[in-house]
Amino acid sequence: MIEASVAHKERPLSPGDTLLDHYSVAESGYDEMCSGPGVLRPHWQDLVHLLEQLGGAELERRHTEIQRLLQADGVTYNAYGDPHGYQHWLVDNIPLLMTGEEWSELAAGMAQRSRLLNALLADLYGPRMTIRQGWLPPELIFSHPGFLPACHQSLPEGRRWLVFHGIDLARGPDGLFRAYGDRAQSPSGAGYALENRILLARALPMIYRDAPLRRLASFLETERATLANLARHHPENPHVVLLTPGPNSPVYFEHAYLANYLSISLVEGEDLVVRDSRVWLKTLGGLRPIDVIMRRVADDFCDPLELRGDSLLGVPGLLQAVRRDHVALANALGSWIVETPGILPFLPLLCQQLLDEDLKLPSIPTWWCGRPADLSHVLAHLDRLVVRSILPNQPYWEGNQLDEKTRRTLMDRMQAAPHLFVGQESMPLSTAPVLEKGQLTPRPVMLRGFAVAEDDGYRVMPGGLCRVSNGLETVQATLQKGGISKDWWVLAPTPQRHVSLLRQAYGPIVVTRDGNDLPSRVADNLFWLGRYSERLDGIARLLREALGRLLEWEQDNTDERCLDDLLDALEIPVPPVAESPRARFFALREALLDLLLEPTHPSSMQALFSGILRTGGAVRNHLGDDSWRLINRLQHNIQERPIESSARQARDSLERNLTMMAAFCGLCNETMPHHQGWLFFDIGRYLERVLRTLDLFHLAFITARNPGLPLWEVVLAITDNLTVYRRRYRSALHPTAIIDLLLFDTDNPRSVGYQLRRLQRNIARLHRPDNSPYRTAEERLILEAFTTLQLADIEALAALTHDSTRSSIELTRLLDAIQKPLLSLSDALAHSHFSHAEVPRQLVTMQP
Amino acid sequence: MKYLITHRSQYKYSSGVALCHNEARLLPRQTPWQLCQPSRISIKPRPALSLERDDFFGNRVLYFAIQDIHQQMEVKVVTEVTVLKQRQFSPDSPSMPWEQARRMLQETPEPEIIEARLFKLESRFIGLDPTYLAYAKPSFPPDRPLLEGVVELNRRIYQEFTYDPHFTTIATPLKEVLSEKRGVCQDFAHLMIACLRGLGLAARYVSGYLETLPPPGQPRLVGADASHAWLAVYLPGEGWAEFDPTNNCMPQDRHITLAWGRDYGDVAPLTGVMSGGGSHTLEVSVDVAPQPAAVAEPATTRRDQEQPLSR
Repeated sequence: MIEASVAHKERPLSPGDTLLDHYSVAESGYDEMCSGPGVLRPHWQDLVHLLEQLGGAELERRHTEIQRLLQADGVTYNAYGDPHGYQHWLVDNIPLLMTGEEWSELAAGMAQRSRLLNALLADLYGPRMTIRQGWLPPELIFSHPGFLPACHQSLPEGRRWLVFHGIDLARGPDGLFRAYGDRAQSPSGAGYALENRILLARALPMIYRDAPLRRLASFLETERATLANLARHHPENPHVVLLTPGPNSPVYFEHAYLANYLSISLVEGEDLVVRDSRVWLKTLGGLRPIDVIMRRVADDFCDPLELRGDSLLGVPGLLQAVRRDHVALANALGSWIVETPGILPFLPLLCQQLLDEDLKLPSIPTWWCGRPADLSHVLAHLDRLVVRSILPNQPYWEGNQLDEKTRRTLMDRMQAAPHLFVGQESMPLSTAPVLEKGQLTPRPVMLRGFAVAEDDGYRVMPGGLCRVSNGLETVQATLQKGGISKDWWVLAPTPQRHVSLLRQAYGPIVVTRDGNDLPSRVADNLFWLGRYSERLDGIARLLREALGRLLEWEQDNTDERCLDDLLDALEIPVPPVAESPRARFFALREALLDLLLEPTHPSSMQALFSGILRTGGAVRNHLGDDSWRLINRLQHNIQERPIESSARQARDSLERNLTMMAAFCGLCNETMPHHQGWLFFDIGRYLERVLRTLDLFHLAFITARNPGLPLWEVVLAITDNLTVYRRRYRSALHPTAIIDLLLFDTDNPRSVGYQLRRLQRNIARLHRPDNSPYRTAEERLILEAFTTLQLADIEALAALTHDSTRSSIELTRLLDAIQKPLLSLSDALAHSHFSHAEVPRQLVTMQP
Repeated sequence: MKYLITHRSQYKYSSGVALCHNEARLLPRQTPWQLCQPSRISIKPRPALSLERDDFFGNRVLYFAIQDIHQQMEVKVVTEVTVLKQRQFSPDSPSMPWEQARRMLQETPEPEIIEARLFKLESRFIGLDPTYLAYAKPSFPPDRPLLEGVVELNRRIYQEFTYDPHFTTIATPLKEVLSEKRGVCQDFAHLMIACLRGLGLAARYVSGYLETLPPPGQPRLVGADASHAWLAVYLPGEGWAEFDPTNNCMPQDRHITLAWGRDYGDVAPLTGVMSGGGSHTLEVSVDVAPQPAAVAEPATTRRDQEQPLSR
């Protein structure tokens, strides 16, 4: 009846509206877009009109475009337990709309909830009145691993426990919003919300530009300002970092994304050290003080001295630095406890007692079984409830889905330790339109809203993350598993000026050129990224050449003897003599394809690429967006297995890899400032390249099974020198010319001479930790290698064709003398620049 | 009784330690029955920073950091403590039936009683399992006065378990202690706490020292003492009664209290995290030296099987 009375404002749908032909709304439920079958809510009318103008097919095309952009940007969730399990994030291109009035009311409830949980934390780690007065049962708090006694009275006067707050929300059939849970220790999702918004703006540019919607930029500006204001010691120019567990975290993408967006350094626990009760960043230039930590590492992992002793992600002594007010954490350590669903039934009373207000935003009806009456209620109504543990990372049980045996076991468990369980009403969630096969289809959705501390209260993000969900799994669970997400639009009365997401600085700024404040760990990873990239390139070139020879041999019966030498270079055992040329072909092909496809082989393309992914992922925010897109494309190309094992296909795939690798390294050169970080990347690449070139040289002129012309040609091809050679000499191959081109020509990037000169120049530019006037170990080593080359007796080597024994001894001696210092170079660099990445250990192991 | 307690720990590392952060719970807490003079703390090498605070349980914690490279570390704490003989409870004190204690603990809305409920929950070293309850049950027939039951449980553990310093480590599961009936004072305290918590009662772990007496006619050996551990059970509305299952007694003036918590994990005497160091050796010596009092104490005879913790 109510719907009928307002129906005159709403537009009935006409049969021509193809997008909505199959949009059937359940009668008992609440749909965000339609108030009844075929009746649009007023605030959706403009959008639906515009979407229909685009049409289903066009929307599908743009949907595909979004997924392509996502993949290119590498928006992933790294699913737990699976090192290769980067799951892609799916974004639906139909936003969820909410009116400004509706949102304001919701936002007021959310801000109040943030204040309430902050007050609750202050009490739990302080006077504990809520417990002493019996407002909150001690079993509920003290059984939860998130209550950390070490954090008792750890926060100095005037500090806030909750700076960032994430709230999971859903609307029930009655149209009311309810909170399903809170994220307090490191609320993730705001970065994904931002990425969704940017993607939608790209997919629906016209609609986005003209839509009267609230923008997200000013909320993020508040986040940045709030973080900066937490710095008490350097309010002028505070040093803020984002502490991440690292690339293995399922939400590492967001950490890198937010750090870039908020212009703060992304650091891991091992980048930080506590000395004099202060937190310092270990950089190439020494220790730099840290004022504020935006923390995305779980509470109990943050300080192995006072919290989990087995944690490798934390910083020993961190809590002590917090107590002395030398560093501010957002959020404070200990905030995990308010995430337990067990506190939901107590919030109305707590709100009255702690804030003297009525709770505005209700929670999903929840019964804590530690109270006998609640336990009886839950056991009696198990069929329509969901049972959850109050402890983290536990499964849930849907009462009406249990077989007799599971039900019995669950009831026994609940009776044995009732304080560890809650029962929650299982309420149908509101539905919102999702694009499926060119049609809009209603799907249940859950929201995650965000609040950030501002002045005395909290500011709420106008929008957030919207997930297609059945409401049983928490948003956190779906965050960890991937799924479909949507952008959440809060409508404003008039179109709002588009604010660039690149913010403008107002305060003073210290002009710096990225250099000495580079974390040692980042330098370490960039060095290895360079080495892996070059190694992958080297192996790919050898493989391409080997497969090429194999194919030529198959077609033209050409001389294939140099294949054995190529297998040696690839460190593949040469297959035993086969009974027929055909059998030999298959054996060789299999050996080569293995190296391409077999991830367990240590120098396979797959294994090397995972090295690139690991080191590159760890320094993701030091690489440009385009470089990262190339890594994503490479990943697809390398991990995509051909349907049949074909040498030709494999060669084509290698061809593509090589082009992309060249583009990747080229982009790094073009886009990374040539400061300390790039220097390490470049040193890594050229050290690897010179070692590989020396190996190849050694093979071709000294250890080859089948030395001679065909092999020299292969070597020139692998080192990309065949064209140069032909242009320069326009004649048959001559060893002296090859030696000059590959060893001495300091202007040829593929020659050892050039590579050594480049290494020497870059090593000289590295920061010296102790400002000593003497040469560092790495400078001495490269000097030794380069000088050896420059002092070589070219005449003696040139006699290679006439007196092969004497000159090959000379050559061996020369190659060894160059190689030896180079082999020590890697360790010397590590010792001078990466060594304070040492992992701290416990004095006594405190695990039971 | 007045004692001069010297607790010295020395770590020697195979390679240099560049930085270490430590927490010591070696400063005895002040209680109504125990008076502590200010401790003399000496740490070598000299820490760059040391700070004292009270932890969640009211224990005194000393945080210190050594920031210069070092090959060994010595922590020595000397404290003069006076312990009163008279305690609130003795084995014969009347007490309420144990079921009533359990009910009061759950239902009485008194702040002190509510807070004691922390000590009836599982903790890191003390999981709850029906086997502990099964072991305790024979000592707690219906309506038995609480203290009577606990005295019997204390005696049973003393009689049925073998003191064996080579059997357990910190990592030995409590269940194994129960099934093998072996362990040291720390294990017996943990086990008895598990039994009492299984009954729905609140019990806490107490760490400290015990004065050991030399055999008759022999001189007291300096530094031969060790840390000790026992427990306390809560009588709602009345207070905490202490028990020492390793020695089948209720602690009096020969037990010196350092700290208490849910289990050993809350009161470990010295913890730390260091960078570098390689492997290390640890040497601990404790000396509990009785001091001449103004009024001579009556001579105490040695109880032969008195066993301190020697881990």
